Amino acid sequence: MTLNPSMRRLLTTAAFAIALPFASMVDAKDLTIGLTSDPTILDPQAGEELSSNIMFYHIYDPLVRRDADMQFGPGLAESWSLKDEKTWVFKLRAGVKFHNGEALKASDVVFTIDRLKASVMSNLSANIAGVTAVDDLTVEITTPGPYAALPNDLAAILILNEAYVTSVGDTELGLKPMGTGPYMLKEWVKEDHLTLEAFPDYFAGKARIDTVIFRPITNPATRTAALLTGELDVVQDLAVRDVDRVKAEPGITVLTRPSLLNILLAMDVREKSPTIALDKNPMADRRVREAIARAIDVATIDKVVMNGLATASAQFVPESHVGYVDGADFRAMYPFDIARAKELMAEAGFADGFTMTLDATNNRYVNDAQIAQALTSMLAQIDIDLQLNMMPKSNFWGYIRTPSDNSSFIMSGWDVPSGDAGSMYGALYYSRDKKPGYGEVNRTSYSNPEVDALLDQADSTAKIEERDGYLQEATKLLLADIPMVPVHYEQDIYALHDGVTFTPRTDKFIWAYEMDVAE
Amino acid sequence: MFAFTVRRLIQMVVVLWAVSVIVFLMMTFTGDPVFMVVPIDATQDEIAQARRILGLDRPMIVQYGIFLSGLLQGDFGLSYVFRQPAFDLILERLPATMEMVVVAMIIATVVAIPLGVYAGANPGKPLSRLIMSGSLLGVSLPGFWVGMMLIWVLAVEYRIFPSSGRGDVGTIFGMQTSLATASGWHHIILPAFTLSVGTLAILLRMTRAGMMEVTRQDYMKFARAKGVSRRGVLYGHGLRNALIPVVTIFGLQLGDLIAFATITETIFAWPGMGKLLIDSIYRADRPVIVVYLMLVALIFVVINFLIDVLYTFIDPRITVK
Repeated sequence: MTLNPSMRRLLTTAAFAIALPFASMVDAKDLTIGLTSDPTILDPQAGEELSSNIMFYHIYDPLVRRDADMQFGPGLAESWSLKDEKTWVFKLRAGVKFHNGEALKASDVVFTIDRLKASVMSNLSANIAGVTAVDDLTVEITTPGPYAALPNDLAAILILNEAYVTSVGDTELGLKPMGTGPYMLKEWVKEDHLTLEAFPDYFAGKARIDTVIFRPITNPATRTAALLTGELDVVQDLAVRDVDRVKAEPGITVLTRPSLLNILLAMDVREKSPTIALDKNPMADRRVREAIARAIDVATIDKVVMNGLATASAQFVPESHVGYVDGADFRAMYPFDIARAKELMAEAGFADGFTMTLDATNNRYVNDAQIAQALTSMLAQIDIDLQLNMMPKSNFWGYIRTPSDNSSFIMSGWDVPSGDAGSMYGALYYSRDKKPGYGEVNRTSYSNPEVDALLDQADSTAKIEERDGYLQEATKLLLADIPMVPVHYEQDIYALHDGVTFTPRTDKFIWAYEMDVAE
Repeated sequence: MFAFTVRRLIQMVVVLWAVSVIVFLMMTFTGDPVFMVVPIDATQDEIAQARRILGLDRPMIVQYGIFLSGLLQGDFGLSYVFRQPAFDLILERLPATMEMVVVAMIIATVVAIPLGVYAGANPGKPLSRLIMSGSLLGVSLPGFWVGMMLIWVLAVEYRIFPSSGRGDVGTIFGMQTSLATASGWHHIILPAFTLSVGTLAILLRMTRAGMMEVTRQDYMKFARAKGVSRRGVLYGHGLRNALIPVVTIFGLQLGDLIAFATITETIFAWPGMGKLLIDSIYRADRPVIVVYLMLVALIFVVINFLIDVLYTFIDPRITVK
């Protein structure tokens, strides 16, 4: 039978209409990810804890994108250049839409940065002096001094929509976020699940996974159980003790990746230490610091305390970072050697050792309490009687706040998501009270004019290669002076079911946009 | 009765005020909440700005004053961590906790009372001894162990129940609750049972002890001689007289479960209030802690009030004073 054209068209359309829902049913992919905690808030300028950060990068975009290996590239800004030493010009991509359909404009960037400066996270914009919209797609950012790592800092600033934020207000924004990111918030039942839906008009193409469900399961055993039953496809922070059990399970893979978090032992170098009952602070003598470094057996800590799930730190920042010196290795410079350590202690005049207190957390880092206990037995071998003062993280930060009359030997962690050692050195190793904004976290009271000068020079050039050169010189000096002992990087441990394509990110911010799942 | 109620109301206000003062005092020891909110390398200025935003830059007395005046207007302050009204944070998690507690108390009561009556009425029988040994286990086994064992056996190994979470939520009488869906019931069984174990054991033992004391009474033999059925004697005469201590414990346990079901909630990733409390304590989030503990105090006061009124119905000889 022949059909007239309009009838044919009608039947074709009808066939499509019936087939399409089936097609989308077959294609709709979803992924369930288990996290350690629920996000606290979805306003990127109100907090920075991990689960919230993970959500931020799904719902919003930054101007500069940080990839899984800490390389920085275009995000919402497709290119940037230096107008002069202190002025950067960023060109925004055209045609980027917010979830509500509005176009991204330079004024949104200006609004975001202005609001950031007045928020609790203002520290993210510390290196931005001013921002102006030159035209709808061009933004000019000025820095207080020449600052080569500005693009790195911008990778942490997520762009808000001015009209939306001003109309819903701060409190609502925390619950109903709206950005340009690859996913939109569909539903958030606190502490139970958070569902994201792919944004069809995302500028870089719609995400492969249509629906992502994040489930916060704090108890590590329950998280593992949910993985084993298949209720979760991916788990972040698999408990160390469950690794073997999960590896043995068919259909599940365990992935590990050294995290950015470097565990550091800060040694007070002041003349007199508040926790050592001697007239002179032993750690002011470099030889004592080296002795302590040589007495710590990082390999044994890794094997016994961390179950092999730690990576010994070679320097203060990982290889990918600006300021890393290729080939320099703290562990090779000061290998575990009790005999040599004792010699150094004797040379410095402390053959009989001394007593001091280690301040550490007991609920912040992986096995932090156990690491502290291991340090006690290790330092006892060079006759240092280590008293442990462990406390929950909510007390710790205030207790050790510099300048401290309580703390002399501190164990804490430090991570540098900006991929640039300068921010860490400026905060930790620059002389305190010399330049505003520098040495704010100088827990050791370390003061080396050469290091200060190198950091000043690094912060006076807008060329990243020059900055790298100065920071590398600073790294060499710091490795020689040992104000802190870098111990190890924690491992981020993930587990996934077969069929999930996932590469762990160095910054630990799981991003469903770069993942895939078999249907 | 009216004077009684008024007296209780005044008592409630005093208790709530005392709780708020104690929490404010205690929080001076738990660390500065500012450091939990700002990044670690924040400068002095940035920290000062954060303090201003959170309202932590005034002296403690002034902060307490601001808190009290906010209370009178129904504003309990914003959580430092969530930046949402503290009261709303608790309220949105309350239904989940109430569901779990109600189901747990039902399980506990429905199992404990009949078993306790039987064990009390027939103390020598082997079944009674079995029941009592079982109750010992219930009292001594820690909740988190029971929960994790149940997850391991029934969820992971045998896939009978889901391992965690709340399931789908539906609406009954306008309230959002997971008890309205089959998936919700499927999810609630394990956590509610885990939560009920301790209470079940205590109620069982109290009932049995009460029954043992009561069955010795003359009026019990008299009622039996009069021709009342065994069931009628035990429940209508015996249990009713043994119920006073049981009801007291019931009230205390109910308050306890509502306020502190934290461990069970954490193990089963149940989105209830208890977990919010623990997290807030770790994060020194004072606005949430103060509201939570005041709410808990309120719950205990109300439950105790209702129990006191209930006494008069169980035992008409008791009058409220």
